[in-house]
Amino acid sequence: MTQLPDSGAVRSSVLTSFRAKFVFLIGTAVLLSLLLSGGVALWNVHKLSRDASAEIESGLSKTTEEYLTRYIDMTAQRADMMFARTFDQVTMLAQLTQGLIDDPKLDRDLGEFLARYPAFQDSMSYNAEKHWMQNKAGEPSVISVWGYLLDSAGAMRADVAEAVRETGFFDLVVPALMGTGQNKLQMYYVGPKSVPIMRTMPYSDQAQTFDKLYPGHNESNFWDFFFPGVYEAWQGWVKNPGIRPADSDITIAAPYIDAITGKLIVSYFHPLYTKSRDDVAGMVAVDITLEQLTELVQGVKIADTGFAFLAQQNGNVLTVNTTGEALLGVAQESATGAGVTGINRSLSKSRFKDIAALRMPGANETSIIHVTVEKDGMPEGLLVAMHPLPVMNLWQPNTGIVPERLMLGFVVPDREIYEPLYAAQEEIDNATNRIVKGILISVVGFLIAVLAASVLLSRRFTAGLEALADAAGRLKRSDYNIQVPVRGRDEVAQVTAAFNQMALDIRGHTATLEQRVADRTRELASANDEIQSLYEKLRDENVRMGAELDVARRIQMMVLPNATDLNGIPDLEIASYVEPADEVGGDYYDVLYAPGSAKIGIGDVTGHGIESGVLMIMVQSVGRALYERGVDDPCAFLEVLNTAIYKNVERTRTGKHLSLAFVDYSEDRLTISGQHEEAIVIRKDGTAERIDTIDLGFPIGLEANIQDFLSSIVLPFSEGDMLLLYTDGITEAESEDGTLYGIERLIDSAQRVHQRSAEEVKTAIIAALRAHIGKQKVHDDITLVVVKHR
Amino acid sequence: MEIKTAEYNVWTEGSTIHYEGTLRLSGTDAYQPILDLMQQVLVEKPQNVVLDLTQLEFLNSSGINLLAKFTIELRKHPDVAMKVLGSTRIPWQSKSLPNLQKLHKGVELLIT
Repeated sequence: MTQLPDSGAVRSSVLTSFRAKFVFLIGTAVLLSLLLSGGVALWNVHKLSRDASAEIESGLSKTTEEYLTRYIDMTAQRADMMFARTFDQVTMLAQLTQGLIDDPKLDRDLGEFLARYPAFQDSMSYNAEKHWMQNKAGEPSVISVWGYLLDSAGAMRADVAEAVRETGFFDLVVPALMGTGQNKLQMYYVGPKSVPIMRTMPYSDQAQTFDKLYPGHNESNFWDFFFPGVYEAWQGWVKNPGIRPADSDITIAAPYIDAITGKLIVSYFHPLYTKSRDDVAGMVAVDITLEQLTELVQGVKIADTGFAFLAQQNGNVLTVNTTGEALLGVAQESATGAGVTGINRSLSKSRFKDIAALRMPGANETSIIHVTVEKDGMPEGLLVAMHPLPVMNLWQPNTGIVPERLMLGFVVPDREIYEPLYAAQEEIDNATNRIVKGILISVVGFLIAVLAASVLLSRRFTAGLEALADAAGRLKRSDYNIQVPVRGRDEVAQVTAAFNQMALDIRGHTATLEQRVADRTRELASANDEIQSLYEKLRDENVRMGAELDVARRIQMMVLPNATDLNGIPDLEIASYVEPADEVGGDYYDVLYAPGSAKIGIGDVTGHGIESGVLMIMVQSVGRALYERGVDDPCAFLEVLNTAIYKNVERTRTGKHLSLAFVDYSEDRLTISGQHEEAIVIRKDGTAERIDTIDLGFPIGLEANIQDFLSSIVLPFSEGDMLLLYTDGITEAESEDGTLYGIERLIDSAQRVHQRSAEEVKTAIIAALRAHIGKQKVHDDITLVVVKHR
Repeated sequence: MEIKTAEYNVWTEGSTIHYEGTLRLSGTDAYQPILDLMQQVLVEKPQNVVLDLTQLEFLNSSGINLLAKFTIELRKHPDVAMKVLGSTRIPWQSKSLPNLQKLHKGVELLIT
């Protein structure tokens, strides 16, 4: 039977008590619903926060992009206007000069007029060491005449001197141009390829500087040395103005370090033509330092650290501040041309792949691109706006003149654009956290309140059950005098009422049960006494009967022939085997001997047990008496024996009889008489003879007179012959499958060993019989007598 | 009437007594109920009594004693003829049944 926990365990165990389950159930239900509603609220708050952030981001992006687009367009217009003003002044100087070329008379008249004023005279002097000619310092402009324009004596060719004179107007006109418009480094004139003299305002040690910076310039034509290809390109324009990349004659040179000032310079060239417009006739030009472009570009301020840059079409960044240079990942490296030194700071070589991949937008378009670069080892998002300036003619050394579209770029770090967004997001996050905290606090608070309420309620609900559990525990401890008070009318109350009734019933049953057990115990005790006395009587009886059986058995065994009887016959060797089925057997055999003859008896009393045994003893005694009296006739012997036994059977009313045969041996002859099993003779050569004894007698003790049934036969029995006598305990012995051993098997097993001694033959036959029986029950007494003629 | 166990079956049909199976009862007393059954047939004073032993595979010596006693008993009823049916198939019958004829000349023995 399963051991029930007692009521104390029920109350103390948290998870098994009904009350705990009730509280647990309520708590779980409330917790689940709170978690669900809290979860929905949180989800909504997060969604709201996400949506708001997205809205703000989208608005900020739109606004920023619009602002940048407007700002960059405006700046591009300003840059364009700056270029245009410089272009105008260059164009003005070029048209003035061209006008003088086109009107040689005016040119001459102007020359003659100016010759009257010494201030406009050039005081040329020859530098024999360097082999060039230059006017003296202190004049408004410097004019240099290169060695290859002088004769060996250091004098100018006539056409060269004329050309020098014709540029005299420069000192009259250019100071006005220099003083107006953009700050200009210098304005200069270069003659046609045949006379490439160079006049530059203001004055400087022009030839000396060239000697220092550009050795070899005094041996090569000026154009080919300093601006290879540009002259030939212009000559192409003369034939076909349509091939100009931009609709203007003005050509700019890629920024270079000016030979005279050593500053980074951008040059604006304007070609001059012959009066017939069939060839180029030199140029006028103006140099502007890059700082002036830079001032414009670097004047751009966007957010905190936003910056602008100006790049060539090929990505070469012309101007940018150092912060911008680092953010764009570009580095300045010097590049040397044939005559001028340029800069190389290309976006396409940026160490940031987003920057290297930037592409210029189409004409008059503004592109806005988000890129990611690295700053202080951390990723930094940038917003890049790009806008191209109008196309210009660009001369590049050895390449000729190609279209160039400079590009203005604005760069703003994302974090500065989105600073308001980040601030808003932080504020939203704070608000979200406050809401989450509020929800958690209310969930926990509500849960505690519900649990407290359910604990209090459950106490009321389970009070009845606890009282019942307590009472059941007392009932278990055999305390039947218990009644639980019934409160209310609910199911617990009904159970309580039923419990009280059951307790009453148990109390009643228990009281009567004790009486019934006491009664039954008394009855059992008295029955036990009777059984004990009966058992003792039976035991006594058993002991007595055992003793009787033992006596009978011992008497029976005593009358069987002993070793002396068996071995005492000179001609015969006798071995025997006797095994009673009960303590007392019903088989009989005997060996009687007197010199000259021997008598061997074999018989089987019906049944076995004490009466059969006693009858067997009687037969032995009567037989012995007749033998000793010398009754030689076998039939007479049997007749007397039958009469004696018959009368004793009558007297003892045992109702038993026996089969009985005798074999007399004398002088190598056997005489067989009496009815029993067949006698078997195995001859010396192994042949077997079966002697039927049915007609040689009659059962002993059954009829008073058997004289008519008695007979005998005589057969030879000589040396080596063997006689087998036995009872039906052998031939009718059953094997495990019910097969009888039978006479054939008996003969067969005897024949196998017939040449051996009687003892060995007996042992072999009994072994074969035992093998046949196996584990089968032995029903009858077994007796075997082996008689061998020595 | 019929006496039936797992080992044997003895029953009467009119004045014919049938035996079947293996009779290996221990002692004369154990055979008493069968002897009573056989004598019950004689009470009816039939003209003849038939013992059908053709299905009796085995009979021990106490059983043969029973048949002998019944035969001797029959000698007191000279007007009743007895026929004993046996089988050569069963070894003990050829060996023991002729004795019944020796006990009572009126016994007709038929071993087939």
